[in-house]
Amino acid sequence: MACRHPEWLRKKITLNAPLLQTKRILAECGVGTVCESGLCPNLNDCFSKGRVTFMILGDLCSRKCRFCSVKKGFARGVDEEEPVRIAEAASRLKIRHAVVTSVTRDDLDDGGAGQFVKTIEALRKRCLDITVEALVPDFKGEVGPVRDVALSPLDLFGHNIETVSRLFPSLRGSASYDRSIRVLDMAKKTRPSLVTKSGIMLGLGEDCSEVSDTMRHLRNAGCDMLTIGQYLRPAEGNVPVSRFIRPEEYQEYKRIAYDMGFLSVASGPFVRSSYLAEESYLTLKEGIYERSDIAATG
Amino acid sequence: MKEVILPPLAEGVEKANVSYWHHQSGDSVKEGEDLVELVTDKATFNMPSPSSGILKEILIAEGEVVKVGQVLAKIE
Repeated sequence: MACRHPEWLRKKITLNAPLLQTKRILAECGVGTVCESGLCPNLNDCFSKGRVTFMILGDLCSRKCRFCSVKKGFARGVDEEEPVRIAEAASRLKIRHAVVTSVTRDDLDDGGAGQFVKTIEALRKRCLDITVEALVPDFKGEVGPVRDVALSPLDLFGHNIETVSRLFPSLRGSASYDRSIRVLDMAKKTRPSLVTKSGIMLGLGEDCSEVSDTMRHLRNAGCDMLTIGQYLRPAEGNVPVSRFIRPEEYQEYKRIAYDMGFLSVASGPFVRSSYLAEESYLTLKEGIYERSDIAATG
Repeated sequence: MKEVILPPLAEGVEKANVSYWHHQSGDSVKEGEDLVELVTDKATFNMPSPSSGILKEILIAEGEVVKVGQVLAKIE
């Protein structure tokens, strides 16, 4: 059975009605979240504020990453009604910044890019002032699907690198480090004004210089925003935690990342790629406006 | 008498280990202060007291397993 986590990895539980209300709305709309499928430790906290990250294209992933608790298997087809249901749920939850992710669907020719575009369009149509962040799979590194999503009416394009290059073969099977870097690069080149974002998990066996290298590769691919958080094993069948990173180390990584030129960095034990995504995005926008003001005034 | 019930921590997580009681039975507790610490594979959670009063009875001892929806303690 599980052991107690270090002091900085203890969470306070929220006991309130909005949490149950969020769960009810999701169930009534028939939409999935990665918060639930990924057994996120922030779920209690986020759901009680009506914050969720939608997961589209079903709940079966065609990849077998060893750190992930999303069910593995082969889904079939695409649910045509799903984009409308997501928009309905976002509207009922009064979401201002929607984050949409998906399982990997290697069985689909476009990897599910079309469904991302339809979902983004449905959210825009239903919720007028909403901002939309898509956290996409690697689409097998194909340029067509990446371009389709990048040119759709979204505000932020995310793709998580997850870990350092050396650990990809043992942890991520058919995924590829270089390909994931390329996905971010392709999105940026398709639409240079689009904000891009990636995330790294720590505690999987990487060392500091490998983390720095990964950050540099992301920056070279034009990545604007970065999230860094502690890997926590979802269940006994997943790869064990190699180390609990101390809070001060997250601060150091944050400093390094800002020095490299990232525009927004969230780094801390419970940081997840979409935890406090709305705040991160707003901070970034304010930063950009401030900078453009400075540029404009000379 | 108010029952302290384990709320859902995450989907698919049906149980947790009771790792530490911040109070013993007979103690006076305040609403919102840490009452009991719970451990799952993914994280350690501190559950606040749902109300103020006297912690009358602890039903799940440290080291034991509690399921979502189960009563952990009673407060009067």
